[in-house]
Amino acid sequence: MSDAGDVQKTNGLVCFTNCLLPQEDGKLVERDLWVDEQRGVILDAQKTFFIRKERPDTVIDLGGNILSPGLIDIQINGAYNFDFSVYEGDDEAYLAGLDMVARRIVETGVTSLLPTIITQSSNLYPSLLRLLKPFTPAPDSRTGSAGGATMLGWHAEGPFLQPLKRGAHSNSLLRSAPDGWEDVQNVYGDSNLALNEDWQMQSEGGVRMVTIAPEVEGMMDVVAEMDRRGVVVSIGHSVASSDIATRALRKGARLITHLFNAMPQLHHRDPGIIGLIGASPASSPALAPVVAKRDSTGSVGATGTSSPATPSSPAFRAFTGHPIGVSRSKSGAIASEAMDDFETPPQTPMFRAFPSGFKTAHSRVTSLGEPSKLDLNETTVPLSSSPKEKVALKEVSTGSSSNLKDERPYYGIIVDGVHSHPNSVRLAYMAHQDGCILITDAMKILDPNMADGPHAWREDGPRFVKEGSRLYVEGHPETLAGSVITLDACVRNFVRFTGCSIGEALRCATYNPAKCLGIETRKGTLRAGADADLVVMDKQGNVLNTWVRGRKVWSKA
Amino acid sequence: MRLIIRDDAAQVGQYIANYICKRINDFKPTANRPFVLGLPTGSSPIPTYKALIKMVKEGKLSFKNVVTFNMDEYVALPRDHPESYHTFMFREFFSHVDIPPQQVHILDGNAHDLHAECAAYEQLIKSVGGIELFLGGIGEDGHIAFNEPGSSLKSRTRIKTLAYDTILANARFFNNDINAVPRMALTVGVQTVLESREVVVVVTGQRKALALSKAIEEGINHLWTLSALQQHPWALIVVDEDATLELRVKTVKYFKSIERVQDDVEKHHADLRAKGVGVVGGLGVGGLIGHGSWSGPGDD
Repeated sequence: MSDAGDVQKTNGLVCFTNCLLPQEDGKLVERDLWVDEQRGVILDAQKTFFIRKERPDTVIDLGGNILSPGLIDIQINGAYNFDFSVYEGDDEAYLAGLDMVARRIVETGVTSLLPTIITQSSNLYPSLLRLLKPFTPAPDSRTGSAGGATMLGWHAEGPFLQPLKRGAHSNSLLRSAPDGWEDVQNVYGDSNLALNEDWQMQSEGGVRMVTIAPEVEGMMDVVAEMDRRGVVVSIGHSVASSDIATRALRKGARLITHLFNAMPQLHHRDPGIIGLIGASPASSPALAPVVAKRDSTGSVGATGTSSPATPSSPAFRAFTGHPIGVSRSKSGAIASEAMDDFETPPQTPMFRAFPSGFKTAHSRVTSLGEPSKLDLNETTVPLSSSPKEKVALKEVSTGSSSNLKDERPYYGIIVDGVHSHPNSVRLAYMAHQDGCILITDAMKILDPNMADGPHAWREDGPRFVKEGSRLYVEGHPETLAGSVITLDACVRNFVRFTGCSIGEALRCATYNPAKCLGIETRKGTLRAGADADLVVMDKQGNVLNTWVRGRKVWSKA
Repeated sequence: MRLIIRDDAAQVGQYIANYICKRINDFKPTANRPFVLGLPTGSSPIPTYKALIKMVKEGKLSFKNVVTFNMDEYVALPRDHPESYHTFMFREFFSHVDIPPQQVHILDGNAHDLHAECAAYEQLIKSVGGIELFLGGIGEDGHIAFNEPGSSLKSRTRIKTLAYDTILANARFFNNDINAVPRMALTVGVQTVLESREVVVVVTGQRKALALSKAIEEGINHLWTLSALQQHPWALIVVDEDATLELRVKTVKYFKSIERVQDDVEKHHADLRAKGVGVVGGLGVGGLIGHGSWSGPGDD
């Protein structure tokens, strides 16, 4: 079928058989997959048979291996020594670099990727983002390349980030947006934020995405507008409290950038950004939780409907009062070692849900200032104390958490075993499986063919040492120089770290990212009509060959 | 009539698959002279389909020159509904074997004019020279295809209202909601089945035991439509041990003894065919014209 003469003779339909297909729910099913090579799409096999009255002339026996949707990497900074963030004014060289990465990355099973730009000088964005239009390299007879992965668009990680959590981003380039949308537009460029980029209307199904810190001045106000314009907003490099992060979510933020990294660690009293993946239905505004407040006599009364993140809530005030988001507690007693560079705001409301599994509207608030008065007996209201409560409880008792609006965001997570401990990866996945997205966050040195050992970083300066998927500055093994893991290796790691099935791991690198980006009808799925972007793997997740739009673009030697 | 008894459903499937495989290969079908096969849906034939698929994958059998007609289809159920017989046949059989889609025929339960659809189906069967072998299953009430109890034994392809028993039995495929089960179906008639040159019926499981007893140990009765098979000159029923639970010991022993001379019977038929006499002699089947329509002198 690689022979053009053959293709002419056949009807251009291919049947993959003897294979396991990962489904959108993570299950693996043994089933055939029919693909139209010419149109590059997955077919509804039954309709093709009964209505089009055709069946594939070409049958490919995959020997019991897995046929997955191609992997999608929504956060990758570069690869094969090309850095997506380095643009020196030469459009052609930059586009050639993108093309090269797109053609080579398919050896890692990736068929779609979102080039990620780390914080750059603000005046660079308009021209750089304009170059990052979606494209899929065509076959090139000169080089023998059969094509490459789809470049989906752009992911601008910065410059509106929290200096305290800047990571590798240059402090001097970070900025805030005191003039709100106007500032944002000036930085990224009006045309790049247009309501509908003309390329979004085209067949490529392009994606635009930004990572922002919602507590940075002006950012909370632009989230909704970004969302309206189809720009995916991710929370990252941020010290947002639970209140602020929840608020950003309600305004349209959809995911968390590299969970656990460049954000405060989980604190049980204010779980912050990480806590969003466990967002309790009790804090959902849909239930209009009754906040019971203890008055001086110790009696309990319903006094409000505050759930997190109302502008008037104390925690929010605390943060807006300190734009950089640092709030020192007055009492050293509640400081936590888990917080590396800031402490839990003492004012954060704490909700006590009822025991016995009620996702209850009856929440209790007490102040952290008087923790010693917390008493289980006192805070447990008899469930049938008043007729009004009976009604409320009846409504609630018929529901389960699955009936409640799930407000939890997607989250990207680097599964190299370095950026997040395997236990943390498992913890996050167990908390929120539907939101999990595997990312590489790989640096330009990503190249699965690169040998371990020291390598030059730039022409001058220190060298770096590669040891498996660990990368550090020569002589400073404690200074991580970024990730060099490939996405297929993340999938394999994820199975080991979480104990999930390979199908469930693949879902986190295919369907989940596609759904988050709103492209799940085209990518990350095997449903009829989707692009025939496929990766054949053995049951351990090793890539055997990769297909883009129905064409085989890579095969293991 | 022959009755073959095997230990379990899988062995029944294997037996029938071997049988069909031999019949098709002996027939030596060509594009101009295809083997015309009638096919059922339901759980009983699944082991047979599985065994046939295996033979195709192993290269022992091909459906390239086989034309199929399915027994029945629900009315007004979308063709790609998970419980439609189109979906069933594609999922369980057609997608796995090398049959060209033009050679597959299933009644269209969404046709604008259902009567015309049924009449055309009968005509189509005639035009390919009739059905060589009809494979069937039965319901617990002894129905063959959707020829529910009380169906005319002279019936042809038509619209049929499903019996309450059948609706209850099928509710499990529709979230146990009997209101979701289609009330009507298109089905080939008893006479349509009887006109095929050979009929093979699979009956497995204890729940079908009473129906089997009624069909072969008592007289022809329109309340057990399978019993009409008693008048067919070349019928084979293949059952598992569970399905024999309601039969008399004498009946079971009798058929088991017959099986020992089965090879002789088949050899005899083969000899007759070779001589051009007997039940399959004198058929003329014409060439393929257009998509899915066969024409030829037929045998009428």
